[in-house]
Amino acid sequence: MLEIRGHARGGQGMVTAFEILAKIFSQLGDFQVQAFPAFGVERTGAPIQAFLRVAKKEILNRSNIYNPNLIVVFDESLLDMVPVFDGLKDQGAVLINTEKPRSHFADLGKTVYTIPATRISLDHGLGSKSLPIVNAAMIGAIGYLFDANLDILQQTIRKNVPAKPEANAKAAKVAFEIVVGDVFPNTYLHERMHAVGNNEEPVVFNFVESDDPAIGIEAPFWSMPLSKNKTGNWRVVTPKYVDRRPPCNHNCPAGTDVRQFVKLAGEKKYAEAYELLYEHNPFPGVCGRVCPHFCEQNCNRNEFDEGLNIGAIERFLGEQALNIPAERVPVTQKEKIAVVGAGPAGLTAALRLCEKGYAVTVFEALPHAGGMMRSGIPKFRLPDAVLDQEIQRIQDKGVEILLNKRVNIHELTDEYAAVITAVGSHVGTSLHLDNEEELSLDGITFLREFKLSGKDAGIKKGDRIAIIGGGNTAIDVARTTMRLGAEPTIYYRRTIKEMPAIAQEVEEALAEGVHIRFLTAPTAIGKNKKDQTELTLIDMELGEPDESGRRRPVPVAGTEKNLCFQKVIKAIGQRFDDFVFHGKEVEPKQGWLQWADDVPVFCAGDMAWGGTVTEAIGSGNKVAEEVHAFLQELEYHPEETLPDIVLPKDINFTYYLPIPKHRDRVKHPEDLYQNFEELSAGLREQDIVAESARCLHCGDCYSCGNCFNFCPDAAILIDDQGRLRIDYDYCKGCGICAEECPCSAIEFTLTEMAS
Amino acid sequence: MKTEILEKNTGLNKQASRYPRHRQLIMKGNYAAAEAAKLCRVGFVPAYPITPQTTIVERLSEMVSSGEMDAKYTNMDSEHSAFAAALGAALGGERVFTATAGQGLFYAHEVLHAIAHFRLPMVIANVGRPSIPWNIWSDQSDSLAQRDTGWVQFYGESSQEVLDTMIQSYLLAEQLNLPVMVVLDAFYQSHTSENVWVPDIDLVDEFLPAKVPGPMSIDIDNPKAFGGLMPPEHYNKLNYTYWRDAIQVEEKAEQIARDFATLFGREYHNVEAINIGPQTKLVLITVSSITSTARGVIKKYPDIGLLKIRLFKPFPKASVQEALSVLPKDAILAPVERNYMGDREGAIFQEMQRALYGMPFKMYDFYAGAGGKDVPPVTIEKIIHLARTNPKEVNWVDIS
Amino acid sequence: MKPANDFLIRDEQVFSGALSCRGCGWSLLVRHLASLLGPDTVYVLPASCFSIISGPYPLAELKANVVHTLFAAAPATATGIRAALDRQGKTKTNVVVLAGDGGTFDIGLQALSGAAARSENIIYIVNNNGAYMNTGIQTSTATPYGAVTTTNPGEGYKKSWPKDLMGIIAAHNLPYAATCSLAFMEDFREKVTRTKNTEGFRLLMIDGPCPPGHKTEPGDSIHIARLAVETRLFPLFEIVRQHYKLTYKPESFLPVEECLKYQGRFRHLFREENKAMLEDIQEHTDNTWNRLLALEKLANVIA
Repeated sequence: MLEIRGHARGGQGMVTAFEILAKIFSQLGDFQVQAFPAFGVERTGAPIQAFLRVAKKEILNRSNIYNPNLIVVFDESLLDMVPVFDGLKDQGAVLINTEKPRSHFADLGKTVYTIPATRISLDHGLGSKSLPIVNAAMIGAIGYLFDANLDILQQTIRKNVPAKPEANAKAAKVAFEIVVGDVFPNTYLHERMHAVGNNEEPVVFNFVESDDPAIGIEAPFWSMPLSKNKTGNWRVVTPKYVDRRPPCNHNCPAGTDVRQFVKLAGEKKYAEAYELLYEHNPFPGVCGRVCPHFCEQNCNRNEFDEGLNIGAIERFLGEQALNIPAERVPVTQKEKIAVVGAGPAGLTAALRLCEKGYAVTVFEALPHAGGMMRSGIPKFRLPDAVLDQEIQRIQDKGVEILLNKRVNIHELTDEYAAVITAVGSHVGTSLHLDNEEELSLDGITFLREFKLSGKDAGIKKGDRIAIIGGGNTAIDVARTTMRLGAEPTIYYRRTIKEMPAIAQEVEEALAEGVHIRFLTAPTAIGKNKKDQTELTLIDMELGEPDESGRRRPVPVAGTEKNLCFQKVIKAIGQRFDDFVFHGKEVEPKQGWLQWADDVPVFCAGDMAWGGTVTEAIGSGNKVAEEVHAFLQELEYHPEETLPDIVLPKDINFTYYLPIPKHRDRVKHPEDLYQNFEELSAGLREQDIVAESARCLHCGDCYSCGNCFNFCPDAAILIDDQGRLRIDYDYCKGCGICAEECPCSAIEFTLTEMAS
Repeated sequence: MKTEILEKNTGLNKQASRYPRHRQLIMKGNYAAAEAAKLCRVGFVPAYPITPQTTIVERLSEMVSSGEMDAKYTNMDSEHSAFAAALGAALGGERVFTATAGQGLFYAHEVLHAIAHFRLPMVIANVGRPSIPWNIWSDQSDSLAQRDTGWVQFYGESSQEVLDTMIQSYLLAEQLNLPVMVVLDAFYQSHTSENVWVPDIDLVDEFLPAKVPGPMSIDIDNPKAFGGLMPPEHYNKLNYTYWRDAIQVEEKAEQIARDFATLFGREYHNVEAINIGPQTKLVLITVSSITSTARGVIKKYPDIGLLKIRLFKPFPKASVQEALSVLPKDAILAPVERNYMGDREGAIFQEMQRALYGMPFKMYDFYAGAGGKDVPPVTIEKIIHLARTNPKEVNWVDIS
Repeated sequence: MKPANDFLIRDEQVFSGALSCRGCGWSLLVRHLASLLGPDTVYVLPASCFSIISGPYPLAELKANVVHTLFAAAPATATGIRAALDRQGKTKTNVVVLAGDGGTFDIGLQALSGAAARSENIIYIVNNNGAYMNTGIQTSTATPYGAVTTTNPGEGYKKSWPKDLMGIIAAHNLPYAATCSLAFMEDFREKVTRTKNTEGFRLLMIDGPCPPGHKTEPGDSIHIARLAVETRLFPLFEIVRQHYKLTYKPESFLPVEECLKYQGRFRHLFREENKAMLEDIQEHTDNTWNRLLALEKLANVIA
């Protein structure tokens, strides 16, 4: 007689598997079979047993199997909790559902077979995520040990499984084919199955006679704590608290920990929030005002009501600098570093290296530091005082800024151990039209000259101005000329959807009275008979997407028209000034430029990457890391792997209430003329706190208590510090905590797969 | 409705000094049961009416509402619920009583098992009647069908015996943590008014101590789970201890009856042997009211004895054997059955047979009073006649 | 937003280790219930999943007395326990029946009605998971129309509507009865508290998630319970002396499919040929809801 004992968890299908196996064995020859489970009260996931006897003669034993010839383990995790191998015959074999090598079970000293039944079952969609039903695969594997006929095996499975007959039959076939072991079929098992003689071993027992067998139970009551029953070993899928990356953090080019500074602001820990913000962004005041706030744009709250006004929070925190003195960082490194360009990238890189103890000198061609923040952003968006203060702080920390120093790398090779070029993109690009040079102005130059020297290019009240482009420069030019009394119209060749300018800026420009004409591009510029500047514009339509992913504008033939303007200002893009490379042709890119032997040259900011202040700051942060690593001969690994980002689908919005966004207090003056006052006044403190409270805490447990409150198994504890932790002794892995976590701070992954 | 309990005239009562600290009353068997519940200071009576038991619960409700009895009385929605409520209150530590009959007892069958396996001491009265087709008359098949529930069963011969047995039963139940059923015959006892000596309650108090919490009592300060799932090996052990205690009933009941006799002056035994000796040729075996009639009939037959079974479950094997040990080998035994249990022989015969294993006596079974059919002296005479002449192994008397 | 540190259970009255399936409503329900009722409570359990969940010999889940009793007899057993406690002066001790839908709608209905009509001072909790789940998913009179069970298998899915237990209960003129959902935790806990503070026979019916019985992902238990309320398949209301009051009125009218589609027991309803059944369920759901609204209005008129 052959005796097989199975160990599984309730719900894995073992009882059905043993019934099916009995039917299969009965078809393999003239066999008597007997299959039955050890009935228990256990629930899905709890350890269970099943028994199977196969014999050539009548089976005269209806009791449980204590000394099996084969032990089949449906769930590997049972090995640690149940004496699975108890009573196995000396020559007996075991079959285990595992992905571990057989050598792992060498200590057993038995014939071991393995089968990755869980994986096979998941591959075939059998069972649920929290409990794969592995029975078909196990039947397949057992079948192979006995050289069972695969057709019979599959057919019997199809006929007897409660659902998914084909998937089950396939899973069995896969298992049949890949079961791992030395001997097939197993000769011992085969011999036991076919044994006809009465060669069963004698029954041995001890009979203890006692005068007082009073070991009885007087009455059926009890009170031992159920916590002795560790249900944690039922778990197949395991929840875990995780810190997942929120989209705000992920989308901040400067690498700011947005979620955390918002949280600290909400808790009124402003100084702490400022310090945290400053770790990645030395220009919170600037960025709070001018950054397009990728954080805010990608805020998961946008899917619910509106993204957080992170800009206002950042701006508010920037103001906290006044209360926090900057301390000068002592120079501790021998290497001196030169930075060319005192824009956001250069100053950020300089600050970071200064903080690491390097002596850093920044060379700035203009008479003022700040780069594009200084020259390209109008005062009504960014008052000088805000910028001055943030630059001053960088100098206070120890960065030296030399103004009016237009330098090239050659001039720096002797003194400096490394040079960072961060000259920005201050040279306007061309429309490639005839007469363009004399008949049009360059927008970025106009903004710079107006801001630094008050030169208004002769623009006066009532002037009709054409502005070509759709970026922030175009908008800033338009709004500046509005304040000079002119009537600006922006001509953009795509639609508002593709416009690269910050949406809010576009809205404000429109509110101020700027006209924007979409799907229009200039084809010629000239003078008319009245000596007015005449612009020929053509209608465009959107064609196939180009390499930027935006649809390419295509001219519509025959739609040309001529319009007259006092001024035409082009703002279609900028490039960097290549003086820094003293004429050498260089393709700037973020990081180390491997072109000069005499001094290591690095590149950062607009000239290499991006186009916003924050991107430049991020670039500065990164290049500083790289320079430091280079000088100290450390390994440098820029982040390459795509992190796991919390997406709107991960948020359980049930637990959030719609709250209107707190919008900046914006004062639009009655008369814009000559009014360069800042428009936005940000948010008041109470609104900052309230707005911070709108944060969803994406991927960050904020101890809301849902997991604790909804855990059916009382398997979540609150530790001494009030933090939540999962009690894996009892967690059955139902997944409710992960599902009901509002902010996706619990991951739920298959235990076996995870390990 | 005011229930009249006829107190015998003062003269009679005064001269009735036979039992000190007693009053002699004329009382129906049902009222004797109710009176016993009061004397035993029962705290909770869940009730459900059924003929012929109804006057027991009516009397109890009357005593509770008048303040004569300090108990909670609840009209339940069925016997199943009544017994379940009894179970609950017993778990709560109260002394509990309820009464039922026939269908009511059949309906409560599963609760009887639960009460017994919970080891809850309680006493109930059952006024025997059979099942459908509707019949409200005397029959013991209802209680005999509960033989295997683990309940102790006493069958009373008279109203006096019902009252006295209930008092003894509470003591037995609470000493062994077992439930006890006291069975009366419908009408022949339940509704028969007769002389009953009712003890003073302080006398009962001396015999039956106040109820104290047992192992199966709810204690709010020491919470426990009562009666949940018990795996096979433990259930087996639980049954072992039940068995161990149940087999003490015979001796314990005898002891309690002795103590009762000392205090109250009335003697009871598990079985009573009347005129059983070396001269006896025939022994009638009876339970309940038929016993009295049989007593009368055999008086004129010096060679006929009578064995009254009072404790029926667990069946008092040793007492029976001892009572019959003096018989000559050729003596004949004749159980009188007021039950039909779906088998060849009646319940008394079945139980006697196993008690008699190894004894030489020939036994013939006599079905005589099922469904309340009267068993007058003449029926007893017929049984004697049949037994002495040409008995079949099983005989139905008076069916032609 | 859900506030931080909103830990509803401050004094856990259960031991971990409950023998419930993953995502079980029973064990979650009892966790909260026990913490709200406190240790001065006697629980009375007829046969149900919870008989097992709460621990076989020698283990006990609850830190209070638990009496396991017969399937049909829980309110009667509770009546006896109440009587005993009252006689001992323990009138403040809660006596609480924890029953499933089978033990309530079917076999236990008589005893329930009896105890309710007697105004026994008992709390009755029915965890309605819509079938005899403990014995392996057999139909009860609480089983929803259209559901598949092992006694209404395949095309033999249940073709009758479940009993209106709350209507039956309302007819007993109770001081307090209510329906609750674990997904509406605050509402549920408030109702338990109100139940605790009311005297007389009180009943709460909870929509009981049961992943093996409903064929759902264990992790979805709360989510689906919420959808049951949002789709009005399981309306939340209170009944005080026959006066109805809806305690939650969903803002939007979610179709019943939104809840049914997560449950394998209703999978067949989504086949084209069974479309009419889904419509029937929607209509029945709408009618029930409208009837509740009318009853609520009636209550206002009478009051």
